[in-house]
Amino acid sequence: MATQIPEDRVSERLELTPDERTLLAEGTLSDTQIQARPLAFYRAMRHGDPIHYDEKLGSWLVTRHEDISKIQSDPVTFSVKHGYSEQQARGMREEFEAYLREHGGGYFPDAIMSDPPYHTRIRKLMEQAFTAHRVKELEPRISEVVRDVIADVVAKGEGRCDAVKDIAVPLTIRVIVEQLGLDHGMEDRISRWSVAVTAQIGAMQSRETMLENAAQIAELQNYLIAKMKEREANPREDMISDLVHAEVTNEDGSKERLTFEEAVSLVRATLIAGNDTTATAIGNLFYVLTRPGMAELLESVADDERQLNRFIEEHLRSEPPVRALSRMTTREVTVNGTTIPAHSHMLLVYGSGNDDETVFPEPRKFDITRPNLGRHVAFGGGPHRCIGLALARMEVKVAAREIARQMKNIRLAIPEDAIRYTPTVATRTIESLPITFEAR
Amino acid sequence: MGNLKVIMTDIEGQTLTFEDVEEGVSLMELGKQHGVAGIMGDCGGGCACATCHVYVAEEWFEKVGEPDDIEFAMLDMVADVMKDNSRLGCQIKMTPELDGIEVSVAPASSV
Repeated sequence: MATQIPEDRVSERLELTPDERTLLAEGTLSDTQIQARPLAFYRAMRHGDPIHYDEKLGSWLVTRHEDISKIQSDPVTFSVKHGYSEQQARGMREEFEAYLREHGGGYFPDAIMSDPPYHTRIRKLMEQAFTAHRVKELEPRISEVVRDVIADVVAKGEGRCDAVKDIAVPLTIRVIVEQLGLDHGMEDRISRWSVAVTAQIGAMQSRETMLENAAQIAELQNYLIAKMKEREANPREDMISDLVHAEVTNEDGSKERLTFEEAVSLVRATLIAGNDTTATAIGNLFYVLTRPGMAELLESVADDERQLNRFIEEHLRSEPPVRALSRMTTREVTVNGTTIPAHSHMLLVYGSGNDDETVFPEPRKFDITRPNLGRHVAFGGGPHRCIGLALARMEVKVAAREIARQMKNIRLAIPEDAIRYTPTVATRTIESLPITFEAR
Repeated sequence: MGNLKVIMTDIEGQTLTFEDVEEGVSLMELGKQHGVAGIMGDCGGGCACATCHVYVAEEWFEKVGEPDDIEFAMLDMVADVMKDNSRLGCQIKMTPELDGIEVSVAPASSV
């Protein structure tokens, strides 16, 4: 149920230090240095100017947990549809669209990146595939996949690998390939495609990189369309078949087939959305495990389902893969004392909401005993809350368990300040993480 | 239109009585349909978000039963407001045995 945001509530602003004032005045989320190490910038905004207009980016950054939550529960005032399409290929949308129409079998707007009531129907259709109970059934098979990926790396006997490129990325791709019913051995292509799709909401593309990415997306769409045609004729037990043949139920009970365009967008979204982000969470996990005491903590909970769940949830709170997602105001609205004009682009900065000390005391402390872990916004919230959240949690959990079982003494093989993050406002993704380890 | 009865108290303390609930409808769906304060049901009934948390009246809890492991794991994420009679509304589907059930919506997890 969409609730309208209360406009009369104003919470306290805090005094900033001179350094924080400078950071607030000069900082921008489009700065790759800030993207890589953003917490001080988030804190300055959260304390002094919680809904901060980032001039360089042209977006309002929403940084307090309370405001993120309120905005998420009003999907009508704060449109995902317009926010997403504004962000997509920023400033180059028309060219991007035209390229895909010409080379990629069509331009397929994301059916799930929409507003109610349309969104409600599409969402309902997708939900059944992602319930926690359905995901539990998948766990044994996914555990096997994860075990194999890690075992292969360990078996090389070199005691070193790239935790992102050799483990996190191929692992999540293999899982989604099985679920959707795609072909094996396509890890590299799917990884390239994912990066290209995700870059569309990253707000960091030049015209040149936009066109390179559009070419990747065209290749992706052509591949998916061929697969979908195949399943249209010969359905199998996989999600592509389900989506190609899916019907949505309208409010009056009548049923309607998804259009082919909608189905393409949903297959594409399923392939990409849970892939990059889950890989990011697993990449981050390796990094976290190189910090003092963390490997021991994981080891102590690895065989205790309840504590392991808490460990994973605290990891998602502490290092949310998705940094910020878009909304657009459909009218002028005042949120927590800040008036935002109609048709303004906003980013809900989940990375800041999860670091909000008014909700999570001592936010930099990794504390699996937090009594309110479920309040973190790593999966967003409201009617657009991540649909694949149970699957994502489970994949990260299974990965954590297998890491604890098969690897020990995980250390960074590069200096900490040499870790590079993908230039994007949308996620906080380690691009490559060379590590050393010992087999257990 | 069904004929089962549900009494639901929202987070503001207002008690609502529904007399025409159909068999198979979950308490989350019922709450969401009627805009009951505190029932969000973000994940759509997937037992994956704990935004439809209710306390089941003691005399009804035995009939409803304990949460399974998956549901318990979600309730554990809102441990500060979890009680012995906590359940997720999406996991309670109406049956004739539950005709007349009373629940109150749990507050959101706090600081």
